[in-house]
Amino acid sequence: MSKLGQVVESVEKYNKFVLDQVKRARTDQKFGRDLLGRWNDTKAKIPVTRTPTGLPLPRLALPEIDEPGEIARFIFGEGFPGEFPYLNATYREMYLEPVRETESFEKNGNKTGKKITQPEEPTRLFSGLMLAEDTNERFHYLTRHQRTHRLSTAFDGPTLYGLDSDADGVFGKIGEGGVAIDTVEDMVRLYDGFDLGSPNFSASMTISGPAPMIMAMYIAAAKRRFGPKVVPKLRGTVQADIFKEVQAQNETIFPIEPSLRFLTDMVEFTTGEMPRWYPISISGYHIGEAGSTPVQQAAYTLSNGFAYAEMFAARGIPVDQFGPRLSFFFDCGLDAEYIALSRVSRRIWAIGMRDVFGAGPRAQLCKLHTQTSGRSLIAAEFKNNLTRTATELILSYMNATNSCHSNSADEPFTTPSEEWIRLAAHGQAILLEESGIFKHTMNMLSGSPGMKAVERAVETAILEEFREIERLGGVLAAVEERYQRSQIQNAAHKYEQQIYDGTRPIIGLNKYRDGNDDAPEVKLARTPRAKQQLQVDRLRKFKKKNADKANRALDKLAATAERSENVFPVLLEAAEVCSLGQITGRLQEVVGRFRPMV
Amino acid sequence: MPSPIRILTAVPICDGHDSAINTINLEFIRHGIEVIYLGYHRSVADIVRAAIQEDVRAIGISSYNGGHIEFFAAVVDLLRKKGADDIKVFGGGGGTITHDDAATMRRRGVDEIFFAGTSLDDMVKFVHRRYAKPRTKRPRPKSSDQELAHELSEIEEAYGIGNRKRRTPKVKIANRKTQIANATVIGFTGPGGAGKTTLIDELVLRYLNQNPKGRIAILSHDPSVVGKGALLGDRATMINSQDDRVFMRSMATRGQAGGLSPATQDCLALLARSNFDYVIIETVGTGQEAMPFQKNGIVASTVLVMNPDYGSRLQLQKIVMLDLADIVVVNKSDLQRARTAHSEIEQRLEQNRRQQQLVDTVAKRHRDSGVDRLFELISKRIR
Repeated sequence: MSKLGQVVESVEKYNKFVLDQVKRARTDQKFGRDLLGRWNDTKAKIPVTRTPTGLPLPRLALPEIDEPGEIARFIFGEGFPGEFPYLNATYREMYLEPVRETESFEKNGNKTGKKITQPEEPTRLFSGLMLAEDTNERFHYLTRHQRTHRLSTAFDGPTLYGLDSDADGVFGKIGEGGVAIDTVEDMVRLYDGFDLGSPNFSASMTISGPAPMIMAMYIAAAKRRFGPKVVPKLRGTVQADIFKEVQAQNETIFPIEPSLRFLTDMVEFTTGEMPRWYPISISGYHIGEAGSTPVQQAAYTLSNGFAYAEMFAARGIPVDQFGPRLSFFFDCGLDAEYIALSRVSRRIWAIGMRDVFGAGPRAQLCKLHTQTSGRSLIAAEFKNNLTRTATELILSYMNATNSCHSNSADEPFTTPSEEWIRLAAHGQAILLEESGIFKHTMNMLSGSPGMKAVERAVETAILEEFREIERLGGVLAAVEERYQRSQIQNAAHKYEQQIYDGTRPIIGLNKYRDGNDDAPEVKLARTPRAKQQLQVDRLRKFKKKNADKANRALDKLAATAERSENVFPVLLEAAEVCSLGQITGRLQEVVGRFRPMV
Repeated sequence: MPSPIRILTAVPICDGHDSAINTINLEFIRHGIEVIYLGYHRSVADIVRAAIQEDVRAIGISSYNGGHIEFFAAVVDLLRKKGADDIKVFGGGGGTITHDDAATMRRRGVDEIFFAGTSLDDMVKFVHRRYAKPRTKRPRPKSSDQELAHELSEIEEAYGIGNRKRRTPKVKIANRKTQIANATVIGFTGPGGAGKTTLIDELVLRYLNQNPKGRIAILSHDPSVVGKGALLGDRATMINSQDDRVFMRSMATRGQAGGLSPATQDCLALLARSNFDYVIIETVGTGQEAMPFQKNGIVASTVLVMNPDYGSRLQLQKIVMLDLADIVVVNKSDLQRARTAHSEIEQRLEQNRRQQQLVDTVAKRHRDSGVDRLFELISKRIR
């Protein structure tokens, strides 16, 4: 049995454990009394906050139960926010505004005021366009009102495929859909003006196939600006999710096995040397965007995660070293499953990591970034996309996401323009800061009977998918048989058919359409030819300047890859003098190119 | 019945958005169209080369990652340069292609751009309306590959659907028994999912590396959906075979059982005397009783590619090609069952008392030593 089969068993076993605890709480009087005592204690210690209208509300809402069995069901089955199995949240408090005046009902009835430190904003906006300096300008624009600078970087097509801007046939694609990065010099320009070593800064880079190379360039750029001592301080995330690329997004450059090997090389390095870095973001987003059902999204993402955990453990990296550095990335659309998809995922992950991999508390957390669904946005009557995204935002925060990106309404047309990005960012601010839904009370919308029903149905369906993957021989075997790919494609096909036959209403498209389908006046972000040429010229100059050093570095890299040793330290040297395309090309000579699956 | 419309579909370079095109491909096939799918992240040169070799009526491009104005125009321009502007270009990109963009693209020679919200039905109707009429007057071919491609179309179209040749193609393949084939023809067959396509592509890579001037032709087959079109998808995975020194042609079986098309023999004969060093023919995934290559026919060597998971030893007795193949390959020999499979097949071959060879390969692995050995074996047999 692979680890995934064991995960299924561990969840089943845990569910049985919960039922046993419920029964025990009802039959074993002492146990029941203790639970009730703990419950009442916890409730008594919850601080009370006041809304602007003066309404007192507890900072944590708990179900109104006083029967030991039901208390056991909550404590063991869901857990308080920040407690195993983390159904409600990874942390005790999230999104809550700092306390101005708190009252807490301690036993002596005294009021106490407790200062709570201001948390990081959960808003993280994805951006990348044209050349590094253009994206840099956008980053500064986006973060100008924020206490903390959490940047999220989109790369252009050539970069995502590990190609240089001067590669054959890519002119026209340079800086389209994301930023063009060829060299360490571009990387320096990209984050210019930001303090990369600051605890208030983090960079996220959405790239997988060439992730180890881009990561090496990021480190090289940080060292150029702040010296070698900055490395252990760097905070951020690189996506580096090979499985989902092969299953859905198709941006893979080496065959699967060496891709996974290079990834593990990077994880081994960063989890050892850069304790604040997330070297992988296990992503369901692109699986969802490629057309999967929500359950498929969660099931494939979590099973990919467990497969990575198995791989890193096999390399000899301790689970409590890499476990806390894994992060997740989910898509949030409008289907009913999204009411609880991430909640259930967090619970399955925690149980599997604890009971199958022996992970400690920090390595049990499924810390997740959510992005609202791009696929749910459509071109027809595109302003409706604001409402779609707003609804998805509510669902995302109901699932206690750790960070969130809200899509811009003009996304079906182009890289979002500033006007619509502003509205998207403000959508989050309105929800979190203006509205009272999330800022006063944890669990404000948790635990409704409907949500519980969704949780049960979704968990059952995810475990069933796990069993199917297990029957196929585990995640890697299933990937090679293109199981996940064809399941996703079938789901996508069905979704399209439902739109065409009207069983899936899309307002403005197949329902309430008023025929007014004019292309909106969106300002298109296109990279002018002159800028594209500038990138090519800069790259050629870099290559010429570093030609000798690059050859030596590439030889060393190839030799290291040939010996199947950890390539990452050598990549760090190569990133100083080689372009992305040079590194890709040389490594492909050693390990081959990815053979696409259709 | 007339021949089905053949079109090529692809996603541009640096673009992996294949969700839309997958759905569209399926819809085309359901409506009788033969789709040669080149896959995603494909260069202009790859697309145009494939379109000319396959001699399709049109190229459908699905682009979601920007740069579409340049990309579509580059495809049109290169077709024109190669004298192949009777191959038309259409496509779409959801909301990423604006109406203004589309107008520019049409001016630069693109036939049609579909916008977000266009129904699949409308796209199918468009292809039938625009590309169904037979091409009567072909332009003079500008290259030998193009000439060959036109001739192959003529042969295939002469057969239409069904087994009997309806009209005699102008291409002379007469008296082909006495024709001295100047290329060596190697036949690959085996059950679906055994990895034939990957294996051939790896052999092609070795051949190209070893013979800097050599040329190779591949005739690849995929099944037609009963009464409908076909998805010809081998090119998408054959990354090394997208090369100017490789002429590849994909054929649908068009209702014929046994792994080949009614027009295969004639097409193969033409390829064999068309100045290639090797011609490789790949059947569709075959069943146990299949024996696709004629005895004493034009195929000089036959390779049977097996998957280790064929079931019990008893199943081996029923596989006819195990008696006929010159070389038997157990691919995916990294699978657990591979060792057992090797020894069971070895025993089965010993019964035949012929000089059959058995090779284990892992075609998906770069520079696999088993594939190296297979390459050597084939080269030796030919010499």
